[in-house]
Amino acid sequence: MSTYREQLRSRLAALGLIVVLMLLALLVRLWTMQVLAGDDYAAKAENNRVREISIEAPRGRIFDRNGVPLVTNRAALAVSVDPSDETVHQMIIHEQSADTSDDPTEQDITARFGALADLLGMSADDVWAAVNNSKLVALQPRVVALDVSVKVASYLSEHQDDFPGVSVGEIAVREYPQGASAAHVLGYAGQISDTALKAADMASGYEAGDIVGKTGAEAEYENVLQGDKGTRRIEVNAAGQPQRVVSEQAPVAGHDIKLTIDIKTQKVVESALQDALSEAHSQGYSSAHAGAAVALDVKTGEVLAMASAPTYDPSLFLNSITDKEWTKLTSKSSDYPLNNRAIMSGYAPASTFKAVTGLAGLHYKVTYAGKVYQCHGKWTDMGEQWPKWCWDHSGHGAITFIGGIRESCDVVFYNIGYEFYKRKKEELQAFAKKLGLGSKTQIDLPGEVTGRIPDAAWKKAFNKNYPEYQTWLPGDTVNMAIGQGDVLATPLQMATVYAGIANSGKVMRPHVLEAVLDSSGKVSRAYQPVVNATAPSSADDLKVMTQALMEAASTGTAAGAMKGLGVAVAGKTGTGQVAGKDDYAWYVCFAPAEDPKYAVAVLIEQGGHGGSVAGPAARQIVAQLLGLKVEQVHATDNSR
Amino acid sequence: MEKSPYRRFLNAVNLPLAFATLALLVYGSIMVSSATATMGGGMFQRQLLGIAVGCVPFVFLWVVDYKTLKHWTGPLLILLAFLLISPRIPGLGYTAGGATSWLQFARIRLFQPSEPAKLLFIAVMAAIISDRKGRIDTTSDVAGVMAYLLGALVLIMMQPDLGTGLVFIVISFGMLLVGGMRKRWFLIFGLLAVVLVAVVLNFHLLRTYQEDRLLVFIDNTRDPQGAGYNLAQSKIAIGSGGIAGQGLRAGTQSNLNFLPERHTDFIFAVLGEELGFTGAVVLLGLYLALLLAALAIAASSRDLYGAIICAGVIAMWSFQILENIGMTVGMMPITGIPLPFMSFGSSAMVTNLGGVGMLMSVWARRYGT
Repeated sequence: MSTYREQLRSRLAALGLIVVLMLLALLVRLWTMQVLAGDDYAAKAENNRVREISIEAPRGRIFDRNGVPLVTNRAALAVSVDPSDETVHQMIIHEQSADTSDDPTEQDITARFGALADLLGMSADDVWAAVNNSKLVALQPRVVALDVSVKVASYLSEHQDDFPGVSVGEIAVREYPQGASAAHVLGYAGQISDTALKAADMASGYEAGDIVGKTGAEAEYENVLQGDKGTRRIEVNAAGQPQRVVSEQAPVAGHDIKLTIDIKTQKVVESALQDALSEAHSQGYSSAHAGAAVALDVKTGEVLAMASAPTYDPSLFLNSITDKEWTKLTSKSSDYPLNNRAIMSGYAPASTFKAVTGLAGLHYKVTYAGKVYQCHGKWTDMGEQWPKWCWDHSGHGAITFIGGIRESCDVVFYNIGYEFYKRKKEELQAFAKKLGLGSKTQIDLPGEVTGRIPDAAWKKAFNKNYPEYQTWLPGDTVNMAIGQGDVLATPLQMATVYAGIANSGKVMRPHVLEAVLDSSGKVSRAYQPVVNATAPSSADDLKVMTQALMEAASTGTAAGAMKGLGVAVAGKTGTGQVAGKDDYAWYVCFAPAEDPKYAVAVLIEQGGHGGSVAGPAARQIVAQLLGLKVEQVHATDNSR
Repeated sequence: MEKSPYRRFLNAVNLPLAFATLALLVYGSIMVSSATATMGGGMFQRQLLGIAVGCVPFVFLWVVDYKTLKHWTGPLLILLAFLLISPRIPGLGYTAGGATSWLQFARIRLFQPSEPAKLLFIAVMAAIISDRKGRIDTTSDVAGVMAYLLGALVLIMMQPDLGTGLVFIVISFGMLLVGGMRKRWFLIFGLLAVVLVAVVLNFHLLRTYQEDRLLVFIDNTRDPQGAGYNLAQSKIAIGSGGIAGQGLRAGTQSNLNFLPERHTDFIFAVLGEELGFTGAVVLLGLYLALLLAALAIAASSRDLYGAIICAGVIAMWSFQILENIGMTVGMMPITGIPLPFMSFGSSAMVTNLGGVGMLMSVWARRYGT
């Protein structure tokens, strides 16, 4: 019997050991989880319960030089579709896949978006186009309609079950009190792109769906206009429903900025540009659809107005622009309205370049004010086999250097150009570059091109696959002397050169920012003017050139355009030849000639003659700048 | 010598067991109250009612001589079979979460029959094992006992209920250990289990989620996605409790609904989060006291039958503690086994208090009195 008891005791002891070991195992496990790894788990629990939500910071506003609002913000009621909704997500994937056989059909689209489209007064296709927007960050809600009525918004809120994945909310959007005016200077803002988001520095804090500047001042001053987001930490339950606000950090609004643009002048410049286009049409230049004009303060480089035609409406980008609209804005048939032609396109400056050639000639003593040239229409100094013609085939007869500017005589400048060629020092190119041509003006707007001052090295590199075209020939310098051949300059570059002539040879860097404002509207950072380049010309040379340009405007090629203005203008017409196209009309000037304040450049693509198309537009702009009567005049000019 | 009624009562009470049980009931009530604070439906009152109802089987099994049970093995066996089958009887079964493991009558959900079935199983198996007089040696000895276990398992798998099946297996082996099954049989069954697990693991060589699926196949009350989420949230809750815990009703995992089944299967996660390692140590201490008291009662038993009954109850509680706490910390697969005396639920409470009653009955009629 005792052995049975002992056996039972030892078996119970075994059972007891198992029990103790089991509890010990649990104890060790809990020790490692709660004591050793407790902090990690606590962090996970915190992460579980707290959601951080960004609070959008209002974007800085943009004002003109007199404080007139150009870009502001407003709240808009927006209807959005969540692309992560299962059906919608599948539709997008199928549509954007290479396989077109699985693309959503008309029935699919109507089934999914028909009811919403009816409610919003759109077609189901339009809704689908907004949802299937390839330019947006993958999971960003697609805004399908902006500024819907309160009635529509409340209907959607009350019938959420009927509209899966659809939400209504207020979003902050840009507002343009001046409409499309100054669109190219202001630029547009829109949702940050996938590529920009990936490229953005982590510390910058950009998130999907953020509104950022894409072009113009909006892009250039993005880091000033963009505010600092606030964060709200919210406690949520397992279903993600907010319970309470744990903490909140208020957003800091972006800085407002003040531009050098004068909106009144800007509007005159824009209408002058339109007038010039219609004038070109009435003269039979039916291909004239595009142009640019710019007005500068010669002493500071301030851009008072800058316009490019055709233009676009920046409010198209409020609601993330559809692929269809985007294609339209970036196609050749619509003449690329997004391009700011004042800075983004290089043109042959044509006769407006004669001021540069002339100053170079004076500087290197290749010519002088009273030097007399003989113009017979045909010029054969390079040899009978290489004849060149003056635009006036009948010839100007005996004509001085100043007369050459006034009448835009090509032969005078062929002579000067050929002289430069024979000196073999590329002095003309060096001089042009000293005025800032052939390099960016570094205006505070994105997308500027450099233009081109061609020389032997450039020609060799440019034609590296065509050995027979690599040699710099006399004709190259001669063509360049009249602003043709391979010279390229933007309207802004030509305006800065003439501003430099007006400003005792100091070429100021053009700029559109006047100041960054602080939250109380005071100036927190003002733009400091920068001298871009200094012409090596003597004061006498500049005086001669100013005199010549004044004569050109008063009795020369632009006499008709400037007649009766009441203020002396110093300026030069230009009529650029482009193979296969109508002539490009130029006018560049500064005024008043005796005490220069402003420089103006006007270019009309395929507009015909500088004096009759670009000149009258420049006259309107000068009149506006100087407070004179703005009127459209009709002038005749057949110079080049 | 006649003893006073008071002395006789005191003599029939095992104080360590009584105190451990009482402390666990209080502790469990506090945790249920905390876990259900934001729920409606008077959960705390229902838990107290469950304790009150549980006092009936407790007192009954305490007062009745456990040896009487041995004479009723036949009818108890029939009742056991009925309980295990009952959820499958049309009109009686009630389906919740994919498994039919509730009994209903007149559309009122009554109880989970698998819970009291555990006690019946203990009583029946104890009678069968003790008949072998402490020697379970030959193949026919083992086969004779195992036949009952297998029979019960077949009925359980009709529900199906993997957790309860495992409890029955563990109970059986706990009782066989005390009932005198030879070591080599434990080795054989141990090897068999290892081979079985190895085959299963080999079958699903690489992917753990497939193993989860197998468990779900057997016990489809558990969905693997849900199970994975539950486990992650449970571990976060327990780990974030740290040493001292977040405080009662202050656990964010629990109160913000991140913890599923927090008042039933995952009550320990609430305790871990709100009372921390300290609270967990107290709970494990109370369980140690409970199980040691039960072992002491087994050792004091007048006969082998009583000792085996105790072993069954000890095995039942031990396994449920290991499995329940183990699953909340990721040591054990997730099954629907409640934590004794802590989880919300009357069926389990009644069963566990009945188990205490059986232990008390053995103690009251112990050897040497």
